Amino acid sequence: MSKVARAPGASKRLAEDGGASPLSNSLHHLSLQQSPSKASKATPAFADSSSDICPVCKSSRYLNPNMKFLVNPECYHKMCESCVDRIFSHGPAPCPIAGCKRTLRKAKFRSQTFEDLKVEREVDIRRRVAKLFDKQESDFETLIDYNNYLEQVEEINWNLILGIDVEKTEQRLRKWEEARKADLNPNAIRRVTEPDTSQLSDTSHVILKKGATQRKVLMSSSASNLNPLGGGDDAERDTGFVFRGLKKRKAPEPEKPFDPFDGWSIEPQYYSFQGDYNHNWFTAMKNDPQHYAGGYDMREYYSRALCDAFGGMGIFIEDEMTARDTQGFDDAGLGTQSVATVAAGGRDVDMADIF
Amino acid sequence: MAVSPVLSPKPNPPGTKATTNASKAKALAILNHSRSVSSPIAPSAATTPGDGGQDLAEQMNDEVRRQFVSGSRLGEGTYAIVYRGHFRSDPSKLVAIKKMKLNAEFKDGITLDSIREMRHLCELDHPNIIKLYAVFTTKDQNISLVLEHLPRGDLEGLWKDHSIMYGGADIKSWSNMLCQAVWFCHESRVLHRDIKGNNLLIAADNTLKLADFGLARGFADPGRPMTSNVITRFYRPPELLLGSQHYGGCVDIWSTACVIAELALRDFFLPSETDLAQLSVITDVFGIPTETDWPGISSLRHWEVNFKSAAPKRPQPLSFWRQRLPLLGDDGIDLLRGMMAMDPAKRLSAEQVLKHAYWTNYPRPTKKEDLPRQGDGEKKMGEDLKRAGGELESGRTDKVARKLNFG
Ligand SMILES: Nc1ncnc2c1ncn2[C@@H]1O[C@H](COP(=O)(O)OP(=O)(O)OP(=O)(O)O)[C@@H](O)[C@H]1O
Ligand SMILES: [Mg+2]
Ligand SMILES: [Zn+2]
Ligand SMILES: [Zn+2]
Repeated sequence: MSKVARAPGASKRLAEDGGASPLSNSLHHLSLQQSPSKASKATPAFADSSSDICPVCKSSRYLNPNMKFLVNPECYHKMCESCVDRIFSHGPAPCPIAGCKRTLRKAKFRSQTFEDLKVEREVDIRRRVAKLFDKQESDFETLIDYNNYLEQVEEINWNLILGIDVEKTEQRLRKWEEARKADLNPNAIRRVTEPDTSQLSDTSHVILKKGATQRKVLMSSSASNLNPLGGGDDAERDTGFVFRGLKKRKAPEPEKPFDPFDGWSIEPQYYSFQGDYNHNWFTAMKNDPQHYAGGYDMREYYSRALCDAFGGMGIFIEDEMTARDTQGFDDAGLGTQSVATVAAGGRDVDMADIF
Repeated sequence: MAVSPVLSPKPNPPGTKATTNASKAKALAILNHSRSVSSPIAPSAATTPGDGGQDLAEQMNDEVRRQFVSGSRLGEGTYAIVYRGHFRSDPSKLVAIKKMKLNAEFKDGITLDSIREMRHLCELDHPNIIKLYAVFTTKDQNISLVLEHLPRGDLEGLWKDHSIMYGGADIKSWSNMLCQAVWFCHESRVLHRDIKGNNLLIAADNTLKLADFGLARGFADPGRPMTSNVITRFYRPPELLLGSQHYGGCVDIWSTACVIAELALRDFFLPSETDLAQLSVITDVFGIPTETDWPGISSLRHWEVNFKSAAPKRPQPLSFWRQRLPLLGDDGIDLLRGMMAMDPAKRLSAEQVLKHAYWTNYPRPTKKEDLPRQGDGEKKMGEDLKRAGGELESGRTDKVARKLNFG
């Protein structure tokens, strides 16, 4: 929980770390010390060479340097690639390692990342849990809530790693995942997947309610489609886990369609544009190939001429008077006047501009 | 008189979107009274010709000049040297001061370029067009434009920088900002006439801005010729190469399309060595248009020399475009071909461009803040090196994994 250590105001949390969570703390040490102590029991020389022999077909890397070992996260029993091909190519089959009755699928096999398969497994579990519990500090009301959340998540990790309450945890994880999906995609049908009733040892299960009070809930089979707690209220939905201080996730506002004009629009206010106008002079220009072939668009001219003609309509003498009053005598009444001069000045430049 | 008092102190741009360009005259009227609401930009003195004569003009000019502090050199172009600067009143407000070089042709000290730039830029207020804060002259009668500071280089530099990776959504985002700028210019009756990657500068917040209005002008009246010798060669449309002197917004549309293609190719789209070669580079892709393809083409000034006795060329098929510009997708290619219709009368207008389905189709243009930008690559690498060896990007998983003892 390096995150916790670095979080601002977490000093208190650090102090607690030793005492407040004896469970996860001790488990932590247990696991970390377990593997080395076990490994030391095995004869080092043997361990070395055994890692190069496939426990299923007994072919060795010594004879076949290209041999690759694969594991399946279902049970982490190691075997060579050709064994995987041979045994699982025709569909799911039981693990060939004596004593292991798990059914494995070929697609799930992959090469091993860590030397120690225990580590490999733990990392897998943590990866899976971390994917489901990806809340940020900002998702919580307070830092304490966030820390408690991290603590609870860590407990889930260790339950799975050490095989404590696995079924119940898995069940709650499924609910959590379901709730997450519904949250991320509110339009999808809110369907509570019918839980595997054989796993529901009783008709009851436990949820942690806000305020950490535990409450038993009856799962009636008739309510399969409905929220077991009745009512569609999100707060009452069984999400498998409940975390104190978790802010309600706001459905992201659907993104507005992209506007290529970015909100800008320019429409004439005082006239409507006809697109074509007939006047002797216009017509002559319109029919001149130097113009129409050269890319001169008479419509551009019409609309500009109209805009210029009606441009004065946009000057509001009243506004200018107000502006003058607030500004004092210096700028008195200059609006219209300077528009006129700018316009005149502009035309002057135009005259000379044969470019 | 060095500077007409009307032009001298550059007023601040109009404030509200709604009023901009509803009419030029209205906008200018607003300029005037919005001064009372006054940002540090607004020059304080009033401008009436004849009011105080030259002295007043000089006085005002000094006042404007004193509002800015100019610093080190940012770069140099053909017509100007650009300096870093800031508002005297607020050193955090950066500006770029573009000091026009003295031009022998205009002995009175004002180049036509700077007049164009001032005239058009001061009327354009849009997020994708560079802002002109003020104009003043220096003691040596040289004109300086005070422009928005745009520190992230230009679009050409961006596609040339191969440490930057970008994709179709990024191209769409930049292209859209460019097309909005062009649309706004055309709606405001301004032809830019020099659209190209290195005139598209990038702001600190990744906004793309059309800059360098040195060749801009208003739309001409019918019967009034304009020069056909504008627009940097690679981006010059066929009608200008054929000598048209009566043209419109269509010339900018062609250049814009070249820039978009360039982004997707990461190379110049239609490069050539000479003006003559430019037409043949274009016709290699678009074919040689006939009177039917482009009514009236044979009456253009340079048609005879170029096309009269040229062997016919057919335009490239759709497969050529798909193969050269896969990043644009079929809709992007359709847009591009519409923007590059040889006959300018058939070319899409800026408004039609923005109404094309390409913009709203998948992928959605990248949000401005997520666009790749220059300088980021190096910084990122530096940060990566600073991190301890083997440490991963922070995230929940690695924090947990680190607790494991592998010893
Ligand atoms: N607003 C700005 N903010 C920051 N840097 C700028 C700005 N304007 C220009 N520059 C820098 O100054 C250089 C010169 O700019 P300028 O527009 O005068 O010339 P150019 O576009 O490079 O060349 P040409 O004049 O031939 O078009 C640019 O390349 C750029 O690096
Ligand atoms: Mg330039
Ligand atoms: Zn084997
Ligand atoms: Zn097994």
